Amino acid sequence: MGRAPSAMVRVEKLSKSFGGLEVLRDIDLEVKTGEVVVLIGASGSGKTTLLRCLNGLEVPSRGRIWVDGEPMGMFGDDGTFRPLAERALNAHRAQIGMVFQRFNLFAHMTALDNVSLAPIMVKRMPRREAEALAAGMLAKVGLSDKLGAYPSKLSGGQQQRVAIARALAMSPKLILFDEPTSSLDPELVDEVLETMQQLAEDGMTMIVVTHEMQFAREAGDRILFLHEGRILEEGTPETIFTRPREDRTRAFLSRVLRHHERSAP
Amino acid sequence: MPYTFRFDVVAANLGFLLSGIRATLLVTVAALAAGLVVGLVVALGRMSHRGWFYGPATAYVEVFRNTPALVQLIWFYYCLPILTGINLSGPVSATLALAVNGAAYIAEIIRGGIQGVDRGQVEAARTLGMSYAQTMRKIVLPQAFRRMIPPFVNESVSLLKFSSLVSVLGVADLTYQAQVLSTTTFRPIEIFSFIALVYFVLCTAMSYAARLLELRLAASD
Repeated sequence: MGRAPSAMVRVEKLSKSFGGLEVLRDIDLEVKTGEVVVLIGASGSGKTTLLRCLNGLEVPSRGRIWVDGEPMGMFGDDGTFRPLAERALNAHRAQIGMVFQRFNLFAHMTALDNVSLAPIMVKRMPRREAEALAAGMLAKVGLSDKLGAYPSKLSGGQQQRVAIARALAMSPKLILFDEPTSSLDPELVDEVLETMQQLAEDGMTMIVVTHEMQFAREAGDRILFLHEGRILEEGTPETIFTRPREDRTRAFLSRVLRHHERSAP
Repeated sequence: MPYTFRFDVVAANLGFLLSGIRATLLVTVAALAAGLVVGLVVALGRMSHRGWFYGPATAYVEVFRNTPALVQLIWFYYCLPILTGINLSGPVSATLALAVNGAAYIAEIIRGGIQGVDRGQVEAARTLGMSYAQTMRKIVLPQAFRRMIPPFVNESVSLLKFSSLVSVLGVADLTYQAQVLSTTTFRPIEIFSFIALVYFVLCTAMSYAARLLELRLAASD
């Protein structure tokens, strides 16, 4: 139990049930440092739950999770998973970024305050330093001119880029993206995807839940196809998109791609 | 028969009525302050996952919202001393009764304000490594506070009006003084019209001040 795997993320036999419903079943997963892993699958296949288990937003029913070699829970010999104490969990979360479908920016704060808050509160960084850092992160996502803007004055794409800057300001080892473009108007999707693509090129370790197959193809190192709580198939984008092994993967991909062609202008 | 208004009766007894206004304001403010403290505790209970806290808090809110304020007032004044042996003066028991009544509503205002803050923002704060306490202080409460202002003003206005009930316990508030004055001067029309106006002005001023505060807070978004 004490062995420290070299991978950035290591998941063993992870299961999660809500009530009687089993959402994840025996998930095994390893993500290397710098790798971009894309989770695809129909809604209800367990992608988001898997992501949320990685930073303790959901407590797994059974299994083990390590992030950068550190256990993310207390693992019973019988496979049970118990959450960490709050302080330990907070320390881990500070190193794992998360970007949400609905942005979840702090509505009562400017973009600058959204980004500088966690460095000040969690890392005890002096305000001036944190604000300089935040301004730098906002510049990185192309929002230098929006430092003083409140979320309600920003477009969805801008809000999501602020959210990405907010995650980056904590210098995370890993960023989890939960359908980051799903609630954006189509014309705003690209600016967010480009930002993510840039991060991937910079070597950030990323786990991305998305329906953007183009992004999966271009930025992903590895694609995982989830079906009914299991990883049904995984492989390089090349393999998954051109010669998937499983019928279900093929059916899913043709559904998604067809939908995209329809919705394309 | 034509009625001759004699508002000079009001002017002549202005000092007497003013003492009533003072008592009314004192009772209202004291009841609001105590109600805020009790309401905060009850609200925490209403949001608690622990049955021993949630149950009594919920029962409290239900009992005080679903019985008449006047009955509560009389109960506190006449029944509580018999049951507990604690004798409270009219003003104290009246203020207490208004406070516990107000607390039931204030608790729900606080709970609504806090639970109305977007869950997603709480999750975002937690995933950044912020503690529960930091998240409450920096994310939830500042937003909840703004949402609470309008209902809290409504509650304050309604408590100010309810405070007229304390006159039945002999508390010398504005309504009580008006009753005394109208029996001695035989001018109830002038006197009660006047105090209605006073209540109206006080309540309106309160709502207006709250609107200013709201606007100032809203200026930031």
